[in-house]
Amino acid sequence: MSRLIEVWGDTVDTKHLSASIALGAGIATPTFLLGRKFFRATVEDQTLAQSYALLLGLAACLVAAFIAARLFKPKRIVTQSAATAESRREALAAIAADGGEWTDPADLSVEARDELRQLGLYDVLVQAHLDAEPGAGTGDQQEARS
Amino acid sequence: MEPLLWAIGMGLIGAVVFAAIGLVSGTDETAVVAPITLLVVLLGVPAAGVFSFFLAAVISKHITHAIPTTLLGIPGDTMAAPMLADAQQLRELGVPHIALRKAISGGVLSAFIAVPLAVLFAWMLSPVADEIGQAAPWIFAGAAILIALTSKGRWAAVAAMFPFVLLIVGINSFVTAELGHALSISFFLGIATGPLIADLFLAMSPAGRKSLERSGPREFALAPDVRTWAGRMPNPLKVLDRKQVAYTSGAAVVSSATFVFSPVAMTVLMGEAVGARVKNGYHKLTTKMAVRNGTTESTYIAETLIPLVALGLPLSPMAAGPAAPLFNAPPVYTVNAETGATNNLHNLLSTWEFLAFGLVAVTIATLVAYPFAMTNAHRAASWVMRNVSHEAIIGAFAGLILVICLYEGGILAVLVTVTVGLVGGLLNRMFGMHSGVQFMGYYAAVLTVPAMIALG
Repeated sequence: MSRLIEVWGDTVDTKHLSASIALGAGIATPTFLLGRKFFRATVEDQTLAQSYALLLGLAACLVAAFIAARLFKPKRIVTQSAATAESRREALAAIAADGGEWTDPADLSVEARDELRQLGLYDVLVQAHLDAEPGAGTGDQQEARS
Repeated sequence: MEPLLWAIGMGLIGAVVFAAIGLVSGTDETAVVAPITLLVVLLGVPAAGVFSFFLAAVISKHITHAIPTTLLGIPGDTMAAPMLADAQQLRELGVPHIALRKAISGGVLSAFIAVPLAVLFAWMLSPVADEIGQAAPWIFAGAAILIALTSKGRWAAVAAMFPFVLLIVGINSFVTAELGHALSISFFLGIATGPLIADLFLAMSPAGRKSLERSGPREFALAPDVRTWAGRMPNPLKVLDRKQVAYTSGAAVVSSATFVFSPVAMTVLMGEAVGARVKNGYHKLTTKMAVRNGTTESTYIAETLIPLVALGLPLSPMAAGPAAPLFNAPPVYTVNAETGATNNLHNLLSTWEFLAFGLVAVTIATLVAYPFAMTNAHRAASWVMRNVSHEAIIGAFAGLILVICLYEGGILAVLVTVTVGLVGGLLNRMFGMHSGVQFMGYYAAVLTVPAMIALG
């Protein structure tokens, strides 16, 4: 069975995830509680003592994150080049499903078109527009029509 | 002269410190800005310095927290939650840095619009301040339903409001009875991290885990870095196209006037309103990024400034949360709940000082955080994606939730966050009732329900 699951928008390894949560909770909680005890005894203003303890607790979270980041590498494959055609096609479909229409990018303002060209997305959107044109539809629809 | 020096000095400190804090994803405004501002007040900094510190802090944090939001897909804080879905789609298109730049340029533009407008609206509203206070519960209830209707969940989200509000009312009265004081940060945290908490519960059950399983690592493609401006200081008016500038400014004007709404809800509402007018998928997404982030900026500012200038009472979600120490930080600033007498920034600064120091703070925050985020976004994105595992972030979050809850109300607060998070996360996942709707639900629970009961 794969240990990879998707939690909160990204892929994680279940064992690494449990260990990271244990680290976060295990380092931050005692740091905060001990810090609060210390500051309450040494700082006169109790509200201020609480704030100091909170700051210390936040710092402990950062330490925990740093350790976990050193121990567990990301489960992502990052490609520096332009997006793969496959992932782009999926993204285009997802945007369309969410209510975005693939109108002809030529209708956009000059500035918007320049931006798309610089990003190398102009031709991708032209293609998306052609694919979305009524009549060009999906294969199934065309068959039904003919 | 001296107040101005305080404003500049404290603004600079606030901007630098919070630009760094913003890079840590999930650092909720209420959870980090409020206690540190309280610290500044209690340390005895003069009013001008306190105000400028606060405003510079929220704005610069808001600029840098867009980095994790857009590049990692993890909300920089609760206000960033409504931008996640759009940011995710742009990330999958391979242009997360464009999502970031549109978002923060919209934010900067809105900030400069919101400060003078908020002061103006405050001045106009001062005569009817009392009536607004009385109508607030009903405005909240109406807005909650409206926002639920515009969400993906639609009728399911509207229907789910009722049990959700009842749940909050129940938990709220239970914790108030037990602790002697109400909790708020724990509820916010629960709503904000609900999807995470729900996923963790699902991962623990065999059936739920099946729905989360993945066969391999996720693939991300980072598009080439594109610099669309010349010189050192990027110009937000060049990063956004003309239409985006117009929509963002419009949303900033409208949202500056509506200071009793939840900022998250306003963000959702403005984004949807503008999104419906832009057809092309890519242009729609980038415009929504600018408008939404701009709206959170203008609501931050308006919701802080209007109650401060006009009322002196913390009568807005922002004033009741992150900005609370500007109103009430005994023994330095006080609000007498019975008589309504105040001794806080409202009394210590004049309208003109609010305007001037507000603009000083916005300028400082922009100079510190904006060029940094604009120029280093791509490098930061690439570095974070290769080096920072999602596990490490979730682990830090677990620690953060525990620390903040223990700070606010001990073990009971931890349980409140887990309960609200589990229910809220499942409502989000199963019924499309997103966190913006849930935030409005929270305010309806603490404001509208008591007002309804008072009606008999």
